[in-house]
Amino acid sequence: MASTNDWAGDATWGTPAPACVGEHVAAGPANVSPAGSAKTKVFVGMSGGVDSSVSAMLLKEQGYDVTGIYMKNWSQDLPGMKCPWAEDLADAKRVAVKLSIPFEVWDFEDAYREKVVEYMLREFKTGNTPNPDIMCNEEIKFKLFYETAMKRGADFIATGHYARVRQENIAGVPHANLLRAVDENKDQTYFLYRISEEALAHTLFPIGDMLKPDVKKLAEARRLHNAYKKESMGVCFVGEVGMKDFLKEYIDIQPGEIREAETEKVLGMHEGAVFYTIGQRHGLYLSGEKGAVNSGLPYYVVRKDLENNIVYVSRNLNHSAIWTKGLALKDIIFRAGPAQNILVRLRHRAPLIPATLQGDTLYFDTEIKRPASGQSAVFYDGEVCLGGGVIV
Amino acid sequence: MIYLDHAAATPMSDKVLASMRSYFAEDFFNPSAAYLPAKKVAADYEAAKATIAHAIGGKSHDLVITAGATEANNLALSSILYGGFRKSVTRGLSEVTTENEGANPATAGMSDPSRANAFLNPPILYLATEHDSVRRVAEHCGGEPIRVDRYGRIDLADLQAKITDSTELISVALVNGELGTIQPLSEIAAIIREVRLDRLRRGVRTKLLLHSDASQALTLLDVSVARLGVDLLTLNAAKIYGPKGVGALYVSHEVRLAPQIYGGGQEQGLRSGTENVPGVIGFATAVKEAKAHLNGNRKKYAHFREILLRNLRGCEIINRKHSLDNFVNICYNGIDGERLVFLLEEREIYVATGAACAASKGEKSHVLKALGLTDSEIAGSLRLTLGETNSEEQIIAAAKIINEVVTKEYERIQNG
Repeated sequence: MASTNDWAGDATWGTPAPACVGEHVAAGPANVSPAGSAKTKVFVGMSGGVDSSVSAMLLKEQGYDVTGIYMKNWSQDLPGMKCPWAEDLADAKRVAVKLSIPFEVWDFEDAYREKVVEYMLREFKTGNTPNPDIMCNEEIKFKLFYETAMKRGADFIATGHYARVRQENIAGVPHANLLRAVDENKDQTYFLYRISEEALAHTLFPIGDMLKPDVKKLAEARRLHNAYKKESMGVCFVGEVGMKDFLKEYIDIQPGEIREAETEKVLGMHEGAVFYTIGQRHGLYLSGEKGAVNSGLPYYVVRKDLENNIVYVSRNLNHSAIWTKGLALKDIIFRAGPAQNILVRLRHRAPLIPATLQGDTLYFDTEIKRPASGQSAVFYDGEVCLGGGVIV
Repeated sequence: MIYLDHAAATPMSDKVLASMRSYFAEDFFNPSAAYLPAKKVAADYEAAKATIAHAIGGKSHDLVITAGATEANNLALSSILYGGFRKSVTRGLSEVTTENEGANPATAGMSDPSRANAFLNPPILYLATEHDSVRRVAEHCGGEPIRVDRYGRIDLADLQAKITDSTELISVALVNGELGTIQPLSEIAAIIREVRLDRLRRGVRTKLLLHSDASQALTLLDVSVARLGVDLLTLNAAKIYGPKGVGALYVSHEVRLAPQIYGGGQEQGLRSGTENVPGVIGFATAVKEAKAHLNGNRKKYAHFREILLRNLRGCEIINRKHSLDNFVNICYNGIDGERLVFLLEEREIYVATGAACAASKGEKSHVLKALGLTDSEIAGSLRLTLGETNSEEQIIAAAKIINEVVTKEYERIQNG
């Protein structure tokens, strides 16, 4: 099954990061009231994590009219896993009370199920490895939350993401750029590349110019209890137990054969083809005779035949399914650019690799390990996020 | 710090701590071992159990030591239903029962969701305000709640109406953990005696047992199993200034239970696992102390409660009657109790909303709901539970600060 890293990172709007306002706002939204004006109304998404808590605190200190919102996206317990939403809510509320800001719970469960969970299940069923955090930002946090906030009279929304916004005027037309976070370790623009420009233009990322250790230190100094909270990883509602157990609840999964790609020889059985990602090495229950099959080199997944529920593996580390110089994309969006020679990030926190975009295909100078289809390739020009696309 | 949440946890007293200390590293032996130092530990353990048992009018071998009250409640309820001892079943769904005998009720219920509903006449009756460690088991095994009045006291008429020939166990906590409500156990026991007699006359062989959770009771009530008329009684060290993770189930002679945890056969085979010697020693010390201070405690908490209620402004008292004096449940209509908890935390006053457990699950307190409180009353409720850490000065200071915080909240709401 896919490494949890494929989902790790955004941790939902669960590990909200403070937005970078302050001096940043100088370069910030030019079309709205100045930063820190008590008349500037900001709705900040508060997950109960340290990042969004510090974000709310910074906004309040900068003089904004701040309202804390807990987005209730998922509350269902699954067998063996307790959904932490109620504790997260209490954590968020405690901070709001401490900061003396109004606090509300917005129930987005229906939309989240429809837009994020169903999308995710659909993708898995077709053999892809989707990224629900990207979808959650696009559909929930920077669409539904944004729109709801605007209707309620907000000038801005804010989240605890590690990212920055820069407002520009290009030939008199205002334009909001998505910039990588100052903390290169935490940069979350990978998860944000699909959010609408309109929402971005009305978004503050109060901790986008801070380093994570400094955010924690600040929380400790201001006695925010969230400073000690364990960071959530992965999709919020799947929590610690993991995607595999979640999928087992929702997708009808049949065990099937694992075959060697070159010989069609049956090497063992798998629990369900959807759990496997091309290029994956771990979790193969190969059951051949000792010395014959399991000797020496490890096996990698190179192909999935979903129709016949067969997973193909190979010991050929140089298999063309694993390595590639070109990546076909779909659903490409451009936030800025266009740029021919770009830097590409193929998963959260992965290094930036130079590439060229020709049509819908990315070309790399050297072979790269192919990311799972359904994941995203995100484009950068320096610190500016140019957009991205979904890997076919 | 002013700690007003003694129903959630109590600090161990110095005496309790001192009594336990040597059993961690010096007298650490396994009581089951054959050599002399281990035998001595075994004897200390048995003596401690006897102390606990005597405090409630029982004998050492009547007690099953567990890892807390939740486990004791589970053992009490589920074992009754699924123990392999029962040969003749007179209830309508005997075949279902037989099939599941010996099975874990929790998993049995899960694997067959229709099972809980299969009981037209549920075998368990429990008070609507019972702790989840009773409610959840009852829901799985087939249980029906008994109504309470607006003070949380059992509706005896409702109880009588709900007892059928299928009823096997009635579970009513002696003291409710959220409200401190004291239930008239002996009256319930009297009703049960009548039912038993009637069953005998008619040749109905189903047993009817009374279980009570007395976790909160020992510091203020003189508990006697005979006087209460219970067959099963749950005790808890953690609520009476003893260690956490230690509890006990009193089991009367006539009752046969089936173990929930199998292994080396400790605790009469009903709860395997190496004995928690320091825990039980501490438990016994805590029980002794509770007994010794019973009268003093009663006076002290009646006095504290009176001061608190005299000084608090603008609240309704939820548990006005029939409640232990160290429980003060109040309600500020229109205010969010959870906000008050956080605001008071800033002033180093620690209190609970409706129920600490309920709060962390994001559910409204089922206890306050059962009392017929409105949603806004439930939202505005606070539970203050007094205890050994409190002094008169603290109670006065706490009332003053709570008044200030509440006033500010009302102002904030009006201005917002």
